[in-house]
Amino acid sequence: MQTLKLAFRNLFRNIRRTILTVMLIGLSLAALIAVDGIMRGMITLMVENVTSTISGEAQIHRVGFRENFDVDIYLENSDEIEQTLRQDSSLDSYTTRVMSGAMISSSYNVSAGLLYGVDAQRERTISKLEQALVRGEYLSGTESELLMGHTMAELLEVGLGDRIVLTLSEAGTGELAQALYRISGIVDFGMRELDDNFVFVNISAARKTLGMTDLQTHEFVLKFHDPADAENPETELFQTLNDEETEALGWLDLNREIGLIIQLTEFSSLIVGAILFLLASLGVINSMFMSIYERIYEFGVIKAIGTRPAAISNLILFEALLIALISCALGSALGYLIGLYTSNYGIGVGDMEFSGIAFDNNIFSEFHVSQFTQFPVYVILLTILAAIYPARFAARIVPSDALQRSL
Amino acid sequence: MTAVISTNKVCRYFGDEGETMVKAVDRVSIEIERGEFTAIVGPSGSGKTTLLHLIGGLDNPTSGSVELSGTNIAEMSGAVLSDFRRDNIGFIFQSYNLIPVFSAEENIEYIMLLQGVAPAERKRRVAEMLEQVGLEGLGDRRPNKLSGGQQQRVAIARAMVSHPEIILADEPTANLDSRTGIALLDLMKELNEKHKMTFVFSTHDEKIMKRAGRLIHMQDGEIESDERK
Repeated sequence: MQTLKLAFRNLFRNIRRTILTVMLIGLSLAALIAVDGIMRGMITLMVENVTSTISGEAQIHRVGFRENFDVDIYLENSDEIEQTLRQDSSLDSYTTRVMSGAMISSSYNVSAGLLYGVDAQRERTISKLEQALVRGEYLSGTESELLMGHTMAELLEVGLGDRIVLTLSEAGTGELAQALYRISGIVDFGMRELDDNFVFVNISAARKTLGMTDLQTHEFVLKFHDPADAENPETELFQTLNDEETEALGWLDLNREIGLIIQLTEFSSLIVGAILFLLASLGVINSMFMSIYERIYEFGVIKAIGTRPAAISNLILFEALLIALISCALGSALGYLIGLYTSNYGIGVGDMEFSGIAFDNNIFSEFHVSQFTQFPVYVILLTILAAIYPARFAARIVPSDALQRSL
Repeated sequence: MTAVISTNKVCRYFGDEGETMVKAVDRVSIEIERGEFTAIVGPSGSGKTTLLHLIGGLDNPTSGSVELSGTNIAEMSGAVLSDFRRDNIGFIFQSYNLIPVFSAEENIEYIMLLQGVAPAERKRRVAEMLEQVGLEGLGDRRPNKLSGGQQQRVAIARAMVSHPEIILADEPTANLDSRTGIALLDLMKELNEKHKMTFVFSTHDEKIMKRAGRLIHMQDGEIESDERK
């Protein structure tokens, strides 16, 4: 208790140095909380963009379809799957799609692309197709209507109402088939891959062009009530649907590169944290040594009168602990304020595409309980760890050396 | 009488062997008996402080032995030596004696906290010591609010409060004006006579020397003379 009292009072001996040390550690903690909050917000936005733009939180295909989008590899038993999906309470919504590679021709140019046949009504609950519309009208169910990416439209030199001919292989027969569509809308997802290559038509029209029946589907796209279900391969729905013929996968399995990007982002956060705390630890060591050198005569005296080396070591560690506690209070409060601001107002990133993921929104910082529990504990442990060396130094002071000034 | 301090050919050399080696204390053998009021005197650099440090276990001798009440402290180290000093020796240094963030009372109490003395007993002894050194009413003051002489009185109180056998004082009056220095030494002498504690102090002040019961003169690390009054 006396050591703690002495340690506490010692903090006020050189108040400027104590404030600087507290600020160094506190600001490092605040920066770490802010960076972590922004990283979490970025990951959420990234996941949201990945899952809500077009691909959904999970998809169901026939095994082998995803390898080269072969139109012949479709789900035969889509009605059975739909029944399962309808009965699953964990699902918020789902939709069906057919798709095929196609040669897309206008009067002026031709481009290879991907045809998506979508259920216009259900698609609204799954993807951003309707929100991506920048000109014209969304799909209403008319057989000839088609939505096209704005960059493809520029390449094909077409606009609203212009005719487009799709040339593709029929499912089953492999015969070439052609169909005429009119551009009813232009879409802009902000993702080059989608805007350059994709065209969207009503699923009934696409099935007709591809020679598929109403029960034949290439893809089910799912949205869960709890997005975490989509990240867990053990989710009951996946377990039910996955078999030799059918694969049901969450977005993390469908977009492994995104998983890697998230891991990289988390690792970057860790590196930033490590650098911040390495610098703060060096500051603590420096501050503690300055404090010890200033008091070296005093340490000689208190050691001479019978203070054990361990008690002197504890004194330094208590001082470090108190500095860490004050720093944590300051850093947590500051980190909370920064987080509060960035979670309300966001950080504008403009229209940015990173690794195929569009960021067209602000990044909103996210709080997490670990920022105010784990991080301060790390700060306290690291500060004490940084103080061990100075504490050992102080404990080993030889009284006669420290008292040389009395000679 | 019994020797509470006994050094036998104690040496303390600094530096490497050869011309650069400094013999701060060289083959010093002394015996100081219980209750003696002894001054170690000599010019600056004569080895007074080093000898006091050796007697107090603050430094290890290069050779020879230092026995306090029959215990060879040269063989002790770490916590054992710290505990021995805490329980058997009181120290007074020439300046910066006190813990600046503690009040006079807390400084005096500190050593009893190390000893684990009960709070009520600590309080009683602190009050008693403050009275004996003439600092009643000043116990709550921090060192920077006390004069140099008052600070040294607190140091004396701290050194004596645990009732050690030996009090070692390294030039306790060096930073005081002569009148305050003499008053302080008179106080030490009075307490020595009252409590029968063994006082050993170093000085090069002739007025102070006169108050000692025994004078050990040092020169170049050796004892030049040893006289009892």
